[in-house]
Amino acid sequence: MNRFLKILVVALLTFNIANALQKENIKETMEKKVDKAIALLKDENMPKEQRAKELFRLFDEIFDYELMAKISLGKSAWVSATKQQQERYLNLFEKRLKDSYLDKLELYNNQDINIVDLVPYKNTRLQLQTKIVAKDETYKVNYNFYNKNNNWLIYDVDLLGVSIIKTHKSQFEGILKNKTFDELLKLLEEKNIIDD
Amino acid sequence: MKKIIFLTLLGFSISSLFADDFSDFNEEFKTKKQKDIFDPLSGYNKAMTSFNDFVIINAVNPVADGYSYILPEPMRVGVSNFFTNLAFPIRFVNNILQLKLKEASVELASFTVNTIWGIGGILTPAQDELKLQRYDEDFGQTLGHYGVGSGFHIVLPFLGPSNLRDMISIVPDSYIGATSTTGQSDIGYKIPNNQAQSFGISTYNRVNKVSLNKGQYESIKNDAIQLYPFLRDAYEQRRKKQIKE
Repeated sequence: MNRFLKILVVALLTFNIANALQKENIKETMEKKVDKAIALLKDENMPKEQRAKELFRLFDEIFDYELMAKISLGKSAWVSATKQQQERYLNLFEKRLKDSYLDKLELYNNQDINIVDLVPYKNTRLQLQTKIVAKDETYKVNYNFYNKNNNWLIYDVDLLGVSIIKTHKSQFEGILKNKTFDELLKLLEEKNIIDD
Repeated sequence: MKKIIFLTLLGFSISSLFADDFSDFNEEFKTKKQKDIFDPLSGYNKAMTSFNDFVIINAVNPVADGYSYILPEPMRVGVSNFFTNLAFPIRFVNNILQLKLKEASVELASFTVNTIWGIGGILTPAQDELKLQRYDEDFGQTLGHYGVGSGFHIVLPFLGPSNLRDMISIVPDSYIGATSTTGQSDIGYKIPNNQAQSFGISTYNRVNKVSLNKGQYESIKNDAIQLYPFLRDAYEQRRKKQIKE
């Protein structure tokens, strides 16, 4: 019994530490990922599904979709939803987020994207400041990271000061004021279909 | 003793896998309760949002596309630069009003360099070579800087989302600006001779800008589940950020 516990602990700890993004590596890792993403977006020869798969693979490991989904929904709405509803919501939210983010990247795939700096943010978190040098303006895009057991993950992206989490939270609150959770899920589903 | 350590580590590892508590983010993402958002013009705003959307999709975008086809991109970038340079008085005065003297002087330097060496502002050596930053301020931001609240949300025809404070601020900025006819008798550098010309210039500027950002409006629109609340919220977030800077 003891031996089993020991192995379990070691396995769990290793699982947590492996692939963890360290603070020192954030800048370099993000730069590489963004460059790769742009290269993928510019690649006309790759079939669309494969391209989407590769792109998601790049960002899945640093975006904490689940946390973002939960914050956007808010605690009371989350805990009052059934397990089934929660699962469906997480799926739909993740898909929307990915589509939205890649859509933006694609708009600017011919522009320079520069990593500006990594600064402390709200006591325990970090903000990676980047900018997109577009044709007529420079857009500031910030990625907010939080520390989840020594692994730094993104929990919010703000484009020109507009936080995607705040925007979603505001929208969901407005919708849930008059509609049920299932109706919200339906709206999300419909949007996903339209955008495909 | 060992058992305690193991159990603690085990508990730590397991809890990190099943963490369901995101309450430490509550402070950062506190939003105003929906019923507290004071939106007296919501009916009008929704209708105007639809109207503006219609105009963008059916009028502005096709014209911008045709325009892109005729005029090559570098020239359109030049036009954009020219208009940005023209808006110098607005940025300069509002930086000074907010006592941002260093930023005002950088704007002055930018304007001088770009006008002289940038062929009247078409090129931007101040940004390209000298790496000078832009400090985009307007009167709405000046009022916000001194604590004036945004007031209720108003969607303006053609111009899009705004609020009471920012809408009123259009007047002083028009007064100092070079591309409007407001204050013609006092200010010598006005370009248009009448309202029609002023409208024509603004429209041209708008179409040119849209032509350089093809797909941007649609991309933003896609993020919305309900367009009007989304734009209203995004606009306010953006203004808050701009005022802080």
